[in-house]
Amino acid sequence: MAESVIGKRIPKVDSREKVTGQAVYAGDMRMPGMYYGKVVRCWEHAHAKVKKLDFSAALKVPGVVKIIGPDDVTKKPYNTTVMKLLVPEIFGEVFGEIADLNIFNRVVKHQGDAICGVIARTEEAAERAAAKIKVTYEPLPVYMTVEASKAEGKKKNGYLFTPLKPGNLAFDLPESFFPGKRYGWNDKDGKTAEQLFSKCDYIIEDTFYVPKQKQCQMENHSYVAHYDERNRLNIWTSTQMPKPVQVLIAELFELPLTRVRLTQTTVGGGFGVRLGMIGEPHACAMAMAVPGHPVRMEFLREEDWVASETRYPGHIWLKMGFKKDGTPVAVDAMYSARKGGYYTHGSGPPFCAAAFLHGMYKWQALGMQTEGYFTNEVPTGAYRGYGNPQITFAAEQMITKMCNELGLDEIEWRKKWHKSIGDETWLKGVTFASDGLNDCLDVAAKEFGWYEKKKKYAKQTGVKRRGIGLAVMQHTSGAFPMLLEHSVCTAKLNEDCTVELIQQISDLGTGGHTVITQMAAETLGFPMEDIHLKSGDSDMCGFDIGAHASRTIYCAGPATIEACESVKKQLLERAAQLLEANVADLEMKDKIISVKGNPQKSISAVKIAKEGVYNYIDAATGKTIGIPGQIQGYSSFFAKHCSPPYGACMSEVEVDIETGEVKVLNLVNGHDIGKAIHPPSVEGQLEGGAQQGLGFVLTEEYAYDSKGRVLNNDFTDYKMLGPSDMPKAKIILVETAPDPIGPMGVKSCGESALMGPIGSVANAVYDAIGIQIKEAPITPEKVLKAIKEQGLRK
Amino acid sequence: MKKRAITLTINGEEYSLNVPVHHTLLQVLRDHLNLTDVKYGCGRGECGACTVLLDVGKGKRKPILACIALAATMDGKSITTAAGLSKDGTLHPVQKAFVDESAIQCGFCTPGMVLKSVSILEKNSKPTEEEIRFGLEGNICRCTGYAKIVTAVQAASKKMAAGKR
Ligand code: FES
Ligand code: FES
Repeated sequence: MAESVIGKRIPKVDSREKVTGQAVYAGDMRMPGMYYGKVVRCWEHAHAKVKKLDFSAALKVPGVVKIIGPDDVTKKPYNTTVMKLLVPEIFGEVFGEIADLNIFNRVVKHQGDAICGVIARTEEAAERAAAKIKVTYEPLPVYMTVEASKAEGKKKNGYLFTPLKPGNLAFDLPESFFPGKRYGWNDKDGKTAEQLFSKCDYIIEDTFYVPKQKQCQMENHSYVAHYDERNRLNIWTSTQMPKPVQVLIAELFELPLTRVRLTQTTVGGGFGVRLGMIGEPHACAMAMAVPGHPVRMEFLREEDWVASETRYPGHIWLKMGFKKDGTPVAVDAMYSARKGGYYTHGSGPPFCAAAFLHGMYKWQALGMQTEGYFTNEVPTGAYRGYGNPQITFAAEQMITKMCNELGLDEIEWRKKWHKSIGDETWLKGVTFASDGLNDCLDVAAKEFGWYEKKKKYAKQTGVKRRGIGLAVMQHTSGAFPMLLEHSVCTAKLNEDCTVELIQQISDLGTGGHTVITQMAAETLGFPMEDIHLKSGDSDMCGFDIGAHASRTIYCAGPATIEACESVKKQLLERAAQLLEANVADLEMKDKIISVKGNPQKSISAVKIAKEGVYNYIDAATGKTIGIPGQIQGYSSFFAKHCSPPYGACMSEVEVDIETGEVKVLNLVNGHDIGKAIHPPSVEGQLEGGAQQGLGFVLTEEYAYDSKGRVLNNDFTDYKMLGPSDMPKAKIILVETAPDPIGPMGVKSCGESALMGPIGSVANAVYDAIGIQIKEAPITPEKVLKAIKEQGLRK
Repeated sequence: MKKRAITLTINGEEYSLNVPVHHTLLQVLRDHLNLTDVKYGCGRGECGACTVLLDVGKGKRKPILACIALAATMDGKSITTAAGLSKDGTLHPVQKAFVDESAIQCGFCTPGMVLKSVSILEKNSKPTEEEIRFGLEGNICRCTGYAKIVTAVQAASKKMAAGKR
């Protein structure tokens, strides 16, 4: 049998085309007759009315083909997110989902809002014309905080971002589903968290701030759209969610799915930013204005900062109550977020923050409120972790502080009180099927030298002070049962007995294409080279939700496996017929099917595959040769669980008490992967996620001027950790708790990577200077201010 | 539109071009010549996605950023892009190391990252980890956390020292 490829450090299937620069991203597409589109955005204001639009000068620029404004496109409002396809309609209604965005807008609700579009024969002409369009604005007051937006919304005749949301309250949790507007549950006697605090010996309460972070995927958003001579709307995009985005486009332009073809090109990073539509509506609208001509539209980097969504920033208040021995009793919480200019994901990430708070420890009662107010900022949406980084930053600092103050060992406390097999996960009704957290903690502590360092750094003096921190996390593998998790795979057996997998797999660089190919090879017992994954074309692929919620391998892998199992089964059935044997007695090895224990009685799978396709008539007998019909396996798979993975991360920092600078020296992250199909990909997720997590906790956040304009829309002023800033990171894949539900034991890893670094670095800073910095990112200014105000630990 | 005639050698092939004087090398490579292995990441010299290697004579090459180099000033110059690193289907040892170490995720930074790595090793065949990390500054990767990229450069350095290709 072909040697198993599971767990092997093999090269990824797409690495050669990427290392030579031959992989085609949407921005690399060039087509005959292609025009160039440019969206004109409002750069000068974050809030304004468009009084007048004057295209006259722009239309005179040589090379301009057409300019389209709000009146030339559908006026149907839309929402960027695909969320509504993932839940039953009633959910959207209960949660108050709205559509409040237009392709081109007459009111600017944040810097970067789209006003109109230019189509020209060259990119340069499009840009020149865009610069010549005269837009007359009437500036409106900007609301940049929850307080300002709330206060305005409360006023009689106060300004409302949308009449659909009274008081500018974009979302909170609906009372009808969540009594007290809280996510959570009461204790066994029906007591709420609030009621239980009176029974606690130790209560801790604090407010934290979490930043507006940008995904910063390296590929800019680019599209080619083409309304062709068959009246089909074609779009090439690097969306993470090809199928749902195809559906949203069809809905927006009122076309049947047969007339919308979406091709997912190579994706240059996603991290959530491409979880819905971004520039697709604009590219499509421009293409429809010039039928027959493909229109290419590429964002400038500075556009990405103002025209695609970000992480939800805001304040998280937490109140936790414990018994003196550390028994967790109750937690009450509130996440108050700045929504930005549009509804987009609504309560999604803050709701999930509540859910992940729920999923971590064995509280007797828990309640978490969430609310979001519209602000004149770039809208918030999905970003890797989806609420979990935020709540982990706050909650893990509280747990460590509690352990310190009650004199408990924080590793042992977490081992004892985290949820385990049979306990409810982040969502009610779904219980943990596996739990590798204790092993993660043990291996991480050993590798890191936790207890040795704890002793060594206990009494820090001097300018540079070292500290160590720990954080644990749990996440999810797909979002069942909250969201639909459906994937379709067709495995077509070619006549040479190789396999074409026809399946939409959104590989954002995560290794999905490689792992799916490995899973197919393993299931069939064929070599990897005999499997080809065909993905990306909506004309060909069946349904797939896309890449979100760390779902790809966990939710789409089973579809691949089922389809390949079906191919194998059909091969064996035909062999049984031809060999006059029972299927149960047959085995397949190196594409030879034989009766177990009697290798002479065998037939080649290659022959069966070939004869299925070329089912000729034998001239002598007049009968067909072999068994007719090309073999195909098919699966339409719905995930029925979300097998949360655990992780434990330890960090070591050095804080300069004179400059306030925090340097991360060392990081160890143990991850409960269940089974790593392609270990380098899992490690890669955790290593790369650490860079984003460290950015969240140390350096990354939008800065605005007083008019609501972004001050740091570039890679110089928005500081991400570079190669020389990144600490040594040791990633340990813990495979001691394979999941009984996940395909081949798999749990997820994509988003999990951020939480541990975030919480552990925050705790390490606390350990080093004895002060908790409750606002992320922990910048030198904040460290110095805290030292000045609170004084260093003696 | 003012133009200038230039001769530019790209991956060993000579091109005679008439370029608008305000066009960057990146525009010429991507938009005029469809050489899309050179990427646009920021357009202002901050991310390294557009890195190419410029021949500086005596067999030496240095990395430059195509997005902030004016094409009209490149007359008579010779450059190498990621597509030109591999020869006759054989990957350059640095490319091979990136593949072998899975130092590639989305791949968007990869062409620039590989070229930058080649330039590091051409200057110093046995760089320390720190030298590699500082050498890679200016090239941003948002996927990998740089860990496997650094490992790949170290692996390539070893292979190249051993003279294997
Ligand atoms: S595109 Fe040239 S440095 Fe970013
Ligand atoms: S691999 Fe995606 S940016 Fe480097």
